[in-house]
Amino acid sequence: MKNRKLYQLIWLFIFIPLACEDFLEKPPQGELTQSNFPSTSGDALLATNAVYNTMRESNFSSGLFPLHDIMSDDANKGSNPDDAAASIGPFDRFEHVKTEPAILRWWNTLYKAVRRANVVIERVPTIAMDETLRNRYVGEAKFLRAFFYFDLVRAWGGVPMLTDLEPKVLPRSSKDEIYDLIEEDLLFAITALPEKTQYGSADIGRASKGAAKALLAKVYLFRGNFAGAATYALEVINSGIYNLEPDFDNANSVSGEQGIESVFEVAAFGEEGLENGGNQYGNVQGVRGSPNRGWGFNRPTLSLRNSFEPGDPRLESTVIFLGEVLDGVTIIGDGITPDASIDSHGQAEIESYNQKVWTPGNNVPPSFGHNRRFIRFSDVLLIAAEALNENNNSAEALVHLNRVRQRAREGDNAILADIVTTDKDQLRDIILHERRVELALEGHRFWDLVRTNKAATVLGPLGFISGTHELLPIPQTEIDLSQGALAQNPGWEN
Amino acid sequence: MTKKLLLLVFFFLPSLLIAQNRTVSGKVSGDDDNLGIPGASVLVQGTSKGVATDADGNFSLELQAGETVLIISSIGYKTQTIALGDRTSINVVLESDAVSLEEVVVIGYGTVRKSDLTGSVSSIRGKELNTVPSINPMQSLQGKIAGVQVASSSGAPGAGTYVRIRGIGTFNDSSPIYVVDGVILQNIDYLNSADIESMEVLKDASATAIYGARGANGVIIVTTKKGATSGNNFPTINLTVDYSVQQLAKKIDLLNGRDYAIVRNKINPGTFNNIDALPNTDWQDEIFRTAPIQNYQLSIAGGSEKFQYYTSFGYFKQDGIISKSEYERVSLKFNNILHLSKDVRLGSNLSFTPFTQQNTNGNSVFVVYRAWPTITPFQSDGSYSEVPGVGNVLADIDNTNSFNKGLRSVNNIYAEVDFLKGFTFKTSFGADIEYGKSRSYTPIFFVSPQQQNATDDLGKGYSDRIDWLWENTVNYQKEMGVHRVNAVVGYTLQESSSENVFLGAQNLLRPGEDFWYVNIFPNLVSPNFANNSVGSNFSMISYLARANYTYNDRYLFTATFRRDGSSKFTESNRFANFPSLAVGWNAINESFMQNNKTLSNLKVRASWGTIGNEKINYQRQYSLVQNGINALFGQDVLYSGATYGVSGNPNLKWETTEQIDIGIEAGFLNDRLTAEIDYYHRTTSDILIDLPVPGYYGNGDGAVITFNAGEVLNKGFELNLGWNGEAGELKYSVGLVGTTIHNEVLKVSGTGESDEELVGLFNGRQVTRTVPGLPIGSFFGYNVLGVFQNASELNAYPHLSSTEVGDLKFEDVNQDGILNSEDRTNLGSPIPTYLFGLNLNLTYKNFDFTSDFQGQGGNKIFNGKEIIRPDPYNFESRYLNFWNGDGTSNSEPRPSNGGVNYEPSSRYIYDGSFIRLRNISLGCTLPQALVDKGGMKSVRAYVRVTNLFTISKFTGYTPEIVSGNPVLNAIDVATYPVPRIFSVGLNMTF
Repeated sequence: MKNRKLYQLIWLFIFIPLACEDFLEKPPQGELTQSNFPSTSGDALLATNAVYNTMRESNFSSGLFPLHDIMSDDANKGSNPDDAAASIGPFDRFEHVKTEPAILRWWNTLYKAVRRANVVIERVPTIAMDETLRNRYVGEAKFLRAFFYFDLVRAWGGVPMLTDLEPKVLPRSSKDEIYDLIEEDLLFAITALPEKTQYGSADIGRASKGAAKALLAKVYLFRGNFAGAATYALEVINSGIYNLEPDFDNANSVSGEQGIESVFEVAAFGEEGLENGGNQYGNVQGVRGSPNRGWGFNRPTLSLRNSFEPGDPRLESTVIFLGEVLDGVTIIGDGITPDASIDSHGQAEIESYNQKVWTPGNNVPPSFGHNRRFIRFSDVLLIAAEALNENNNSAEALVHLNRVRQRAREGDNAILADIVTTDKDQLRDIILHERRVELALEGHRFWDLVRTNKAATVLGPLGFISGTHELLPIPQTEIDLSQGALAQNPGWEN
Repeated sequence: MTKKLLLLVFFFLPSLLIAQNRTVSGKVSGDDDNLGIPGASVLVQGTSKGVATDADGNFSLELQAGETVLIISSIGYKTQTIALGDRTSINVVLESDAVSLEEVVVIGYGTVRKSDLTGSVSSIRGKELNTVPSINPMQSLQGKIAGVQVASSSGAPGAGTYVRIRGIGTFNDSSPIYVVDGVILQNIDYLNSADIESMEVLKDASATAIYGARGANGVIIVTTKKGATSGNNFPTINLTVDYSVQQLAKKIDLLNGRDYAIVRNKINPGTFNNIDALPNTDWQDEIFRTAPIQNYQLSIAGGSEKFQYYTSFGYFKQDGIISKSEYERVSLKFNNILHLSKDVRLGSNLSFTPFTQQNTNGNSVFVVYRAWPTITPFQSDGSYSEVPGVGNVLADIDNTNSFNKGLRSVNNIYAEVDFLKGFTFKTSFGADIEYGKSRSYTPIFFVSPQQQNATDDLGKGYSDRIDWLWENTVNYQKEMGVHRVNAVVGYTLQESSSENVFLGAQNLLRPGEDFWYVNIFPNLVSPNFANNSVGSNFSMISYLARANYTYNDRYLFTATFRRDGSSKFTESNRFANFPSLAVGWNAINESFMQNNKTLSNLKVRASWGTIGNEKINYQRQYSLVQNGINALFGQDVLYSGATYGVSGNPNLKWETTEQIDIGIEAGFLNDRLTAEIDYYHRTTSDILIDLPVPGYYGNGDGAVITFNAGEVLNKGFELNLGWNGEAGELKYSVGLVGTTIHNEVLKVSGTGESDEELVGLFNGRQVTRTVPGLPIGSFFGYNVLGVFQNASELNAYPHLSSTEVGDLKFEDVNQDGILNSEDRTNLGSPIPTYLFGLNLNLTYKNFDFTSDFQGQGGNKIFNGKEIIRPDPYNFESRYLNFWNGDGTSNSEPRPSNGGVNYEPSSRYIYDGSFIRLRNISLGCTLPQALVDKGGMKSVRAYVRVTNLFTISKFTGYTPEIVSGNPVLNAIDVATYPVPRIFSVGLNMTF
């Protein structure tokens, strides 16, 4: 009898494991998995904010360095001659190769940004929440996805088109397919997003209807759809929401942050570190040495300085010269960097820095606080001018062009006289020149030259080879990892 | 009633035979030291009935009528058969013997006679485990067991050891698991060596397969001491007092002040003017000191028919040879067995180990290596001097206040029930519980702009971990004529959960220790300060079965099966099966061998099986959401954000190791000479490895995803030789263990092509590569041919662009006339190709002498300390022989603070071979007559030296450089030196 109880007990023990099915279900502690995020309206906001975060990542700016200014006639590599001579130096002379780490970093970061946008676009529409808000979040994400693909398509041409969250090997889509996606996303964003002025003050800086229209105008300009470009640029201009800062300096300075001229910018806080709100974009180009404001890359060329019309005050606002006093700080510069030298193209080079990223201060942290302006109102005016001129409406084009020049002359009628020519070809060159000096060192020049087929002429002497250097090479690692699904760009095969 | 005891063995008594009992008791001692032998087996001939002796060698056994012959055996002694006659008390003196075939070996979930063993299992018993003063019992295993590498890279008090069994089988954690009295543990740092009865190392698949998914890197089974059921109720009390002094075993030969100035003046002319008047500081003398270790141990063991107990108290305190690195531990152990009836036993093994550890500045040793010898530690006003580049190490140590405090408790309780005939059911619940607390405090101080702390910082950490394991098994033992069967089936459940919380504070009210608390006010916790909480949680369900069958003492078969399910993997890969098979042949028992005078033992065995490794970062299966991805809007309003992090790989599964083992055991001349040779062949596949995926998947720059892709082979031989002899009153034994290891990567990312590569970066540059065809983490760099003596030699041979005359001449390996990164080549392996140990024991009258040598060879060390430049740090002495013009040196380049000479190259690769006198000791046992008068049972006094000398070509503190990361291994960055230790001790038994 006693034994029997014992046996029963033993049998009980033996069958216990059959009763604990979910004993092996142990979710990760303190962390969400992707299968249950985003699932609330709070999650939707978090996921939307995260898309913007990518724009402050250091590699978001063409792999940490402003490659497209360095590759243009506006800027040299900068810093002291040895610094990053092997990693960034080649871009200055169009000697870069398909294994450049900076190219891979940029590619990877843009696609990370695209994926973050896809999280919102794919997941948020299924969340039960306020419909207007939900629509806005998806609109913000679509605007940003278009913004990211616009960088991708301009830099590499047709690229793999990632529109959902499933990781899979993809071939390259055509350039037109990418542009079609961008257009579709922006048209959605225009309907879904509020105007900048409709956002509360704490939300200014989110993608807006005006920003989406401005970006679409720009996209049309790059595609040669001048009617579309004019339409959307004019809608932004006529919305009455934007205007030029009275003072050109404020267009990029701290005091003009999220101001009247800002159509789309990424806010940053003057602390080192992405997690603290910093953006290294300004630090990479900041004054090197004394004051210690940064690394000193992307230094203005003689060619850029010479391109300003006599007396154009924008030169002083674009270039920091040694000895200059800015916000009470005397610019002494870097000890190792020669004050004057000959650059790799045989041009005279002086030690000088990009003033558009300047933030007041004499040490490093505030240099992380520069709000990078992606679309300024003057850019929109010049898009309108260019598109109208191409549409044979040069008279109206002059209105917008001269509005930019008028602000630049700061009331001094002796300089920067109004343009009066209505000759289409002449005006095209004048507008391109105006873009160069107005938007110098803001990352537009290289693409403007390629877009207008002037790259070979202007950049040829710097090493640009037509048919190759319009696009960056697809990073070699990507070709290796995609098991042959990706083809290389023309001219970069070997 | 029948008394039963369960120590190392399961014995079963047919319940029908209870009749006419008598009790025999006595003591088993060894002829080598006349001390009682604990754990010796006392068997009744012709039955499976018996007991094991207690801690002093005493036993008591109840016999039935007709049971008159006892077989007494113990590991390391010759077995004796004793006819009792009418005696009820016997004293047995066993003759020492390296190999004893009737030893009982503990294997997972049971025991087996050594002669019936088909797997590769090495045993070591308690006495040999106390040979070195250490908190970690594994240190005693160095050089003692074939196939086992035990390396202590750091000599810091309380530092752990790296244990590798049969090479390195994975790119991940390749440590074995430990099973202490049935509880599976990740380490046994808490365990007091004096409490250990025996350790068994399970090496081949036949032995480890019963541990399934956890056994791939080997299993070490530890059995702790128990009391005996000696009829004598008086407890045995053992007291050990051990006192040691540690000192730095070796200094690194660095430049003195004058020589440093000569080299610096060569690099930067005019740095030092009057080189003869410079100070000369030996920074090593400034931080190293002699420091004591105290170790006290008291145990009380005893028992009766109903109850066995073993209780011990241990106190261990080690001061470091660098100040502020003390380690202090108290260990309490309670092992009890209660015999409820003849069939039912309840037992518990409890241990409580509170400890305190102070962590000195971890970087100190490297700072000392680099500090300028031309600077005195203190300025004339007594304040710390500024030491360029590295800071003043004495100030570092002075301002470091880092403590860990904790309590670890490893326990299990179990019940055993004998039922039917030969069956035993056992249920055991074990728990490994650890609570820890850390605190660190850096006061405000100023030595120089580079070495200062403007705001005081306090860091606090709290951690807890509970691992529990519940095991239920049924064992069956049966002997029928020539058939002997031993089987076990069972299942186990285990779960682990832990949490860590870190907090920080700044601006404490006062610097004193009384204020090291995190208050909300006034010492605000800044959001930038480390402030987080991490938790983990996983579980396993396992089913296990094993059968051993022996036919006629000659033919042996073992089959093992384990099925494991783990929460670490998603449902489709959750369960895996781990089978193993083994056969053995005791040739010595064949009739044709009976007349062989030379051979006293001959056994051949072979095994095959697969085992798993689940010590991997399982979180990588999950696609996690990344937090803290914030954005700014408006006038710098910070908004929280969260989004998808790197994709996980839900298809992850166990790493699997397949192992083949073939072994021969032989004894000659009545086992005076014994030999055991094993060949092993382990292939680990599906090794978890992080690989890049296309960037357009959107995981971000540099993101990697974990895959099951790699494959690694380890193969080699293990040799164990022993010789026992005597000359007059001198008895001696010599043991030699040796292991060869062939380690080879077969695949890295799945295809087995030679261009697959895992890159090991050190100081930002590649120094190792893991590629098919080479050992894991092979060193990689330029091969140095010499020094460019003159311009014509420089112009005639390819060189890196910045090379000048007097710089190193690197080999143009691919002979393409261009020297570039393509010319980097394999510079050797960090994994030794052979390990050996040589152990010598002598006994003469009351004196005993032991010496243990240990060593390895075939491996290289990368002297990472030398290439961390370009600040002008101090140099090793060889730099003084620098090239100084044509023909002056072809090995030492012109001195420089950086540049081509510091590229990873063969210049920094050192031979890692060494031989070390690990332990040498002399003991004296007081004559028994004298001891008896004092009312004691035995008294032994001893002196001992640990790490007396090491012969090695490496210039660092120790050639034992092992890291937990196999891909970046054997790179010396100046860790805390392993000290030389002088000890005296006294062991008394009452």
